Amino acid sequence: MRYPLVSVMAVLLLFAAWALVTDLFRIPAMTLPSPQQMATSFKTMLVEGYSGKSLWVHILASLGRTLTGLLAGIALGVPIGLLMGYSRFINAVFMPGFGFIRPIPPIAFIPLVILWFGIGELSKILLIFVASFNYTVLASAAGMRSVPEQLVRAGINLGLTRWQLFSSVMLPAAMPHIFTGIKISVAVSWAVVVAAELIAAQAGLGYIIADAGTFFRTPEVLIGVFIIGAIGLLFEIIVTSVERRVLHWQSKA
Amino acid sequence: MDKIVVDRVSKSFSSQRRGDETIVALDNVDLTIAEQEIVCIVGPSGCGKSTLLNLIAGFDMPTSGEIKVNGAPVTSAGPDRIVVFQSPSLFPWMTVTENITFGPRKRGIPRADYESEARDTIEAVGLRRFAERFPYELSGGMRQRVQIARALVNRPQVLLMDEPFASLDFQNRLAMQELLLRLWGRIHPTIFFITHDVEEAIFLGDRVHVMTASPGRIKAVVDVPFPKPRQIEIVTAPKFVEIKDRVLHLIRSEFEQSDRAAESAAG
Repeated sequence: MRYPLVSVMAVLLLFAAWALVTDLFRIPAMTLPSPQQMATSFKTMLVEGYSGKSLWVHILASLGRTLTGLLAGIALGVPIGLLMGYSRFINAVFMPGFGFIRPIPPIAFIPLVILWFGIGELSKILLIFVASFNYTVLASAAGMRSVPEQLVRAGINLGLTRWQLFSSVMLPAAMPHIFTGIKISVAVSWAVVVAAELIAAQAGLGYIIADAGTFFRTPEVLIGVFIIGAIGLLFEIIVTSVERRVLHWQSKA
Repeated sequence: MDKIVVDRVSKSFSSQRRGDETIVALDNVDLTIAEQEIVCIVGPSGCGKSTLLNLIAGFDMPTSGEIKVNGAPVTSAGPDRIVVFQSPSLFPWMTVTENITFGPRKRGIPRADYESEARDTIEAVGLRRFAERFPYELSGGMRQRVQIARALVNRPQVLLMDEPFASLDFQNRLAMQELLLRLWGRIHPTIFFITHDVEEAIFLGDRVHVMTASPGRIKAVVDVPFPKPRQIEIVTAPKFVEIKDRVLHLIRSEFEQSDRAAESAAG
């Protein structure tokens, strides 16, 4: 495999160009720090933390909020979505509300949530919950509705009960859609947590970049952005590899 | 003894696309299938063949008339009448073995009671080496063999087959037809077989019913007096060709009629 090597080279080249440009044009660190300056700042952050808290505390603060909201959203969104896809009645009850909320960017709820629940943990978790719930609910409902009629008939034909039909035929058949919903939820949740922390937080990656930005500490801002990016990428890799394992059969059938 | 009795069955649907116009899919269909008999239905697309199959399967109820299996009216679908669909309806997340044992497993039959049966059936359809593969790893013909095995493992008294070999290539189709007759020799199910391939209908069927379209009616019944199991060579026997000729004539006169009807409707 030569292509991964090419990718590594491309990244190295980018860093080299960055170092060259910042050095050659004597760009001030406040505008764009050089990679060397970034490395120094990063080392300091690792040792001393940021604003009195270790870097890990900030990372875990963001991760904790995201995972709590995300898991709650999925835990509630998937079953409600499945029921909506299963029963037209339940769908008719919930669809107007969820259908209206979905296109609203979750970030638009930040002021409201702060008004109602203050600037504590609950507000941020609630925002992430709303975001992930919305995506999983609609994806699960769509998944349930897309179950091929033929598979349902085959199940009925083989003598399955209604519950068996739901749990052993419709649910697995809806899994690809459900997974797509979860994937989107993960990405959106990560974006939402950072946005929420920008506005009101004492810890977290969003707090770091907002706070460092106010004090013109560009290296810290960039480091925060890089960590956010790296964790987002890690999320994606994890979800995709789980998906590949669980849903190896999809789109090949 | 009569296994399946279709007694003056009609079925109509209201089509929303055509302004709630009522479409008569089946009009007064009578059909009787004896125990262990193979009956083939040929007819143009849209003649209501699949509608009739769905009614016998119990997926749908007739608008009027009655369908009896074993003397009892059909009220729901069940594993005594297994359907083999045209497009593979295998569960894509299950292996071949899991697919085949799905029915017995879910009905709570003890493993010991179906395990050897499942193994024999997989062997009989020639998929022993593929028992732990997933449907996406199989060819179209293999998938249809899995579907047939999944049906047979339930020891159904009735097999309802909806153009099961239509999407296969010629060679595979021949192999599947012979395989089906061999399998029939093992457990002698009553088979209701839909096809639009006249040769296939005559090769497999004890009787061939020719249907007409809109509304769906049974136009004629042709007896096929060859003993089973049959070898594919019989398709060139003079008697076979004679029967084929008769069925083709029935079908041709049918679409000449429907063309005339369409012309007079248009003109």
